[in-house]
Amino acid sequence: MSSSIFRAFLFASGTVLAAQASAANPAVVVTPQVRAELVAHAPQGVQPGQPLWLGLKIEHQPHWHTYWKNPGDSGLPTTLAWTLPAGFAAGEIGWPTPKRLPLGPLTNFGFEGTLLLPVAVTVPAGFDGNELKVRLRADWLVCKDVCIPEGGDFALTVPARASTVTAASDFDGVASLAPLKLEAARATAAVEGDVLVVRVNGLPAGWQGRALAFFPETPGVIQNAAEPEQRWDGGDWSARVPLDIQRTESPTAMPAVLAAPGVSAAPIGVALQVAVTTPWPATTPAAAPAPALGNAEVQPAGSAGSGGVGLGLALLLALAGGALLNLMPCVFPVLALKVLGFAHHGGDRRRLLVGGLAYTAGVVLSFVALAALLLALRAGGEQLGWGFQLQQPAVVALLAALFTLIALNLAGVFEIGSVLPSSVETARARNPVLDSVLTGVLAVAVASPCTAPFMGASLGLAVTLPAAQALLVFAALGLGMALPYLVICAWPGLARRLPRPGAWMAHFKTLMAFPMLATVVWLVWVLGVQAGIDAAAALLAVLLALSFVAWALGSPSLGMWARRAFGAVSLLLLAVALTWATPSWRQEAVAANAADRGTVPGTDRWQPWSPDRVQQALAAGQPVFVDFTAAWCVTCQFNKRSTLADASVLAAMDGKRVLLLRADWTRRDAVIAAELSRLGRSGVPVYALYVPGQASPQLLPEILSVEGVRAALAQLPS
Amino acid sequence: MLFKTSLVLAAGLLAASAALAQAVVGQPAPAFTATDASGKAVSLADFKGKHVVLEWVNPGCPFVVKHYASGNMQATQKDSTSKGVVWLAVNSTASDHQDYKAPSAMAGWMQQQKAGATATLMDADGKVGRAYGARTTPHMYVINASGTLVYAGAIDDKPTASQADIPGSRNHVKAALAESLAGKPVSMASTRPYGCSVKYNAG
Repeated sequence: MSSSIFRAFLFASGTVLAAQASAANPAVVVTPQVRAELVAHAPQGVQPGQPLWLGLKIEHQPHWHTYWKNPGDSGLPTTLAWTLPAGFAAGEIGWPTPKRLPLGPLTNFGFEGTLLLPVAVTVPAGFDGNELKVRLRADWLVCKDVCIPEGGDFALTVPARASTVTAASDFDGVASLAPLKLEAARATAAVEGDVLVVRVNGLPAGWQGRALAFFPETPGVIQNAAEPEQRWDGGDWSARVPLDIQRTESPTAMPAVLAAPGVSAAPIGVALQVAVTTPWPATTPAAAPAPALGNAEVQPAGSAGSGGVGLGLALLLALAGGALLNLMPCVFPVLALKVLGFAHHGGDRRRLLVGGLAYTAGVVLSFVALAALLLALRAGGEQLGWGFQLQQPAVVALLAALFTLIALNLAGVFEIGSVLPSSVETARARNPVLDSVLTGVLAVAVASPCTAPFMGASLGLAVTLPAAQALLVFAALGLGMALPYLVICAWPGLARRLPRPGAWMAHFKTLMAFPMLATVVWLVWVLGVQAGIDAAAALLAVLLALSFVAWALGSPSLGMWARRAFGAVSLLLLAVALTWATPSWRQEAVAANAADRGTVPGTDRWQPWSPDRVQQALAAGQPVFVDFTAAWCVTCQFNKRSTLADASVLAAMDGKRVLLLRADWTRRDAVIAAELSRLGRSGVPVYALYVPGQASPQLLPEILSVEGVRAALAQLPS
Repeated sequence: MLFKTSLVLAAGLLAASAALAQAVVGQPAPAFTATDASGKAVSLADFKGKHVVLEWVNPGCPFVVKHYASGNMQATQKDSTSKGVVWLAVNSTASDHQDYKAPSAMAGWMQQQKAGATATLMDADGKVGRAYGARTTPHMYVINASGTLVYAGAIDDKPTASQADIPGSRNHVKAALAESLAGKPVSMASTRPYGCSVKYNAG
């Protein structure tokens, strides 16, 4: 009873229970709940370039606890305020992996028992003193079933030329207790109604099958008390974490700690950057005020989309963009060949129109199907944007094989008629409508990664729109692409202007083989960038074997026995080539290759992008130019070699001290995809100019011009 | 094709009293009936047509003491009630907890602090607290005259236990009331509450 009156008295006088450091040891503060001590670890003394650690060691009485940087439903994290001599800089607190502290229907995150909060200190270059005097003001909230805010002033002197290792055992334990930053770990999250679906892979092998605890560093997002449903799918861990219904934060990247309670070997915790891929639902502001006060004004809920492009405008832009796709070097040959077909059917207007409509149908349906797949996968939480087909080396290899076969057919190495069984061949001839549809599908498969100008905003918006509207935008894209061909079909007057059939057709057909092969060269290069030179050579070997097979089985000039003999040999060679090549095309190989390539040291102007680097540069007043690019994106490569390599542009960048960052999306990257989505785009290229002091970056057009870039740079202060 | 071994671990038991899930800003505030410190029954429905502020309180919590000992909470209460707002202080401390105060003791403490609350509700079984998802003391809610929850969160933007931080802080409750009484939407409608945890009973 008396203790509670004493406590009440202290509280009534409004003072925090600040325990006095004992005169005997100014580095220690003892309260009835904790013993706190300022400790240092300096194995080589205090010398520039040598590691120096300071820390607050808190030994809690049983059942008392202090809090983590996100305290959970209540509580406050421990704060450390250092007083160090000039030039010394104390880093952030290296929080150990926290524990869940449930309290009835509430849950906090914190620590019990013995806790060390370490801080790395950098020693300035010119330091040559005899000792380092450290002062610390620490405040902590310690709770059991009641809470007591406490604090203390600590002082410690660390000798500069002697080794301080009395707390070595405490600091040794720090590495195993702190959450480990795993390079291979990838974490994404998607908002599904009132649940956040978190997916992580790349976790330590010993964790598979265990129940894990999820600790977000951002408070105010999830329901801390809920134990989320979680599952393991091989090496992938996922959980459905309920969101706080009074959520106050909507982060796009959320640092978090994942812990495996009960695991015996280190690590016990992993530090993650969780990229949130879906937009957050808007928290609706208050509705109408009291009727007595007059008219109600209902504010619309904030929109999660971006860019302010209305649906009608988006459809128009999509149409124009689709039409432009016809000019892409990957699409043109296929289209030219179809126009060539006019020469055969020159007189039959109705058949032409039907063919044109069938092609349009094929194109539009393919776009819509791809869009539906994209939306379905995005709903499933995958990190995908437009062009995802070419991020997997297996897909690149497949497309390369397809184009090689087409090129060989065009060049006359084999005839489709001989390869396909006669039933399929006649079916093809009997149903030219189906043939047109399939040509449309082929055209789309090739064009999709090339997002032409004007399409960027439409695509970005379409992915944030509700499904029906998004599908409409993609359908408009398809319509735009098929339109030129359809127009020629509808007004065959134009087609009649085409030259009559003749020998030139054969030459033209063979000529079209070369753009096809050029596309194959490009695909081999993309594969090389993704999976390394070995994988590219393997692909070439497979293509060679494939060509041999095509000739052996399909060449019209071979006799039956020759066909069988060469056919068997070539198929065997193809099987060998595939067995050798396919392992190098798998996704893990891509990751390994990227790790091998590593970071190129600083002779390159362009540095790797990360959100932190952008923020740091802006905070220092430096403008940033980010090039979101990918090896499989033709427009990106074009800009890279033309405008971005132009001497006057680079000189202007240097003149304005612009930091050049490159975000390479050649292989799947969750953080880049999340950033693209935030900028309102879903494909590359995206060129963003960040100016210090401006809230959002300026996005430059997808095809850069030297004048355009220099004009944008001219606005920057020198 | 890759093998996929799925180990399904369903650790999906939500906390026993998962009813911490009903008060959402922008939605109608949950209805309740509770007994006040003088034994009278009080319902939210009694105050239809008026703004209502709910304040979760616990005299044993240093953060509550920060606002009472400095006079900040009383000033906010009086400022609000003078504008026709109903202020209900709610104590959801479980009866077996160290910090529990019997109704008469609670009424005595409020009087001693010269509080300006319209009524002090005794919620020892935690029903009102759980309906509103009250997590800390203090945890503040503002309900407008049509019964919609327009603010939920902290009393101010300085999450400390020190009185010195009050003068420079933004009083979220005062601001929310000023905006809502003027017919405007509340600009900061949801903030993260700070304080000691509400001492709910086990059930």
